[in-house]
Amino acid sequence: MPTSALVAAAAESLINKILSLDEDSETRLKPLRDARLTAFVSPLPYGITLSFSDRIDVLTEQGTFEEAVASLGPKDCCIKTSLQTLPELKETSQLTRLIQQKALVLEGELKVAQHVSALFQQLDVDVEEILAQKTNDVVAHQTVKTVTAVHEKTMRALASIGQVLGNAVVEEKQLAAHKLAVMHFSDEVNVLRDRTESADARLRHLEEKLK
Amino acid sequence: MSDNQTPATYVDSANDNATEQTTHFGFKQVDKGQKASLVANVFDSVAAKYDVMNDLMSMGVHRLWKRFTIDCSGVRAGNKVLDIAGGTGDLTAKFSRLVGPTGRVTLADINLSMLKVGRDKLRDRGLVSNIDYVQADAEALPFPDNHFDVVTMAFGLRNVTEKQNALNSIYRVLKPGGRLLVLEFSKPTTEQLSKLYDMYSFHILPKMGQLVANDAESYQYLAESIRMHPDQETLKGMFEQAGFEQCDYQNLTGGIVALHRGYKF
Ligand SMILES: C[S@@+](CC[C@H](N)C(=O)[O-])C[C@H]1O[C@@H](n2cnc3c(N)ncnc32)[C@H](O)[C@@H]1O
Repeated sequence: MPTSALVAAAAESLINKILSLDEDSETRLKPLRDARLTAFVSPLPYGITLSFSDRIDVLTEQGTFEEAVASLGPKDCCIKTSLQTLPELKETSQLTRLIQQKALVLEGELKVAQHVSALFQQLDVDVEEILAQKTNDVVAHQTVKTVTAVHEKTMRALASIGQVLGNAVVEEKQLAAHKLAVMHFSDEVNVLRDRTESADARLRHLEEKLK
Repeated sequence: MSDNQTPATYVDSANDNATEQTTHFGFKQVDKGQKASLVANVFDSVAAKYDVMNDLMSMGVHRLWKRFTIDCSGVRAGNKVLDIAGGTGDLTAKFSRLVGPTGRVTLADINLSMLKVGRDKLRDRGLVSNIDYVQADAEALPFPDNHFDVVTMAFGLRNVTEKQNALNSIYRVLKPGGRLLVLEFSKPTTEQLSKLYDMYSFHILPKMGQLVANDAESYQYLAESIRMHPDQETLKGMFEQAGFEQCDYQNLTGGIVALHRGYKF
């Protein structure tokens, strides 16, 4: 099953849920009606399109950026950028620089990109409250705390990996796996092998039954 | 046909074992003239519970298969789309928003009960302005030549008596440059998955049908018709025979379902 469909489905239901909780989003969606914004963000393997009507449909692009540009309609906009550059896109004053540096390629209707950016930046929604509606307050609070903590940890880890890699490049050190890490990895492989064998046995058993 | 028959083999051709005058209805051989009304009975019977059963039988995964079909359709604002054998209109609903006010979607189905369920559902969701509902047989589409930008057929082709006629007819109504997408059950890519899937469709599925829709027989037919449907390569060949070009297919969920795509140039 293409994971792209799963990701798009989850994103679509989350975005529409969030929009439904902000009373003003209906007004902000109006200028975007029948427009589309497609974004190819490397290293994500496919482009994502937001298609606007009275709600937002999320589609995944199966073709390339160039193909998407070739079929742009009059109310469509297509951008190509990278995950690293995304945070910089908030600053509209930086757009020209990013385009000049080729960190951002923008084709089609610029206004669409601006409206979309406004739509999400002006959102006035309490994520905790949304989760609370789906679960309960304690779980929601805990989830938000955990997600925030995981996010912070991940960012710290990424930063330190970046530092390590940076140092390695500068100092031309060899990055060898730590002995303990290797042992841990081989333990995990053993567990996985056992599990695979037991799944295999179960399948064989099922097969026998079917015969 | 009893509940526990679980053939692991797939027919390589839609007309395998069928004579000039007969065709498959599940595992049964019936007169070609009879099949359409037998299929009609099945869908008359399942129409009311169709959506619930779909979610239940596929554990919701049919929504992802359909979403992927839409992603591959390349539909744009202003397009004319035909959703043939569209039933209760899952694809139509999304297409209606994607083509916008300048486009049009035709939800066509041979079965009035399914069309009515679809129409009521879409109207309840406020989707009215750009959808047409047409009772039509895929084998003889009542639309002009070169009319649609995109035609989709989800889980419909296996119910059609002469599948090649349906593909020819779709080819005729597509505009040059237009594309056809057929989403249909197919042949699992591994033997083990195939066996598990057979067990599910012949043992669990009819029982679910009995429990939820009080109709084991229709769901037995659905399982059987899946087995009798041409496999991936055979269907691709049928696309080419109808005149489609750049035909390809993508297996979904290990080939339980395949999405075939072809262009008319
Ligand atoms: C399993 S349902 C699929 C409905 C819908 N496309 C979906 O994916 O949920 C199959 C549909 O095919 C329709 N059908 C069967 N034979 C047909 C034919 N010859 N022409 C048009 N529709 C047909 C049935 O009436 C039924 O609504």
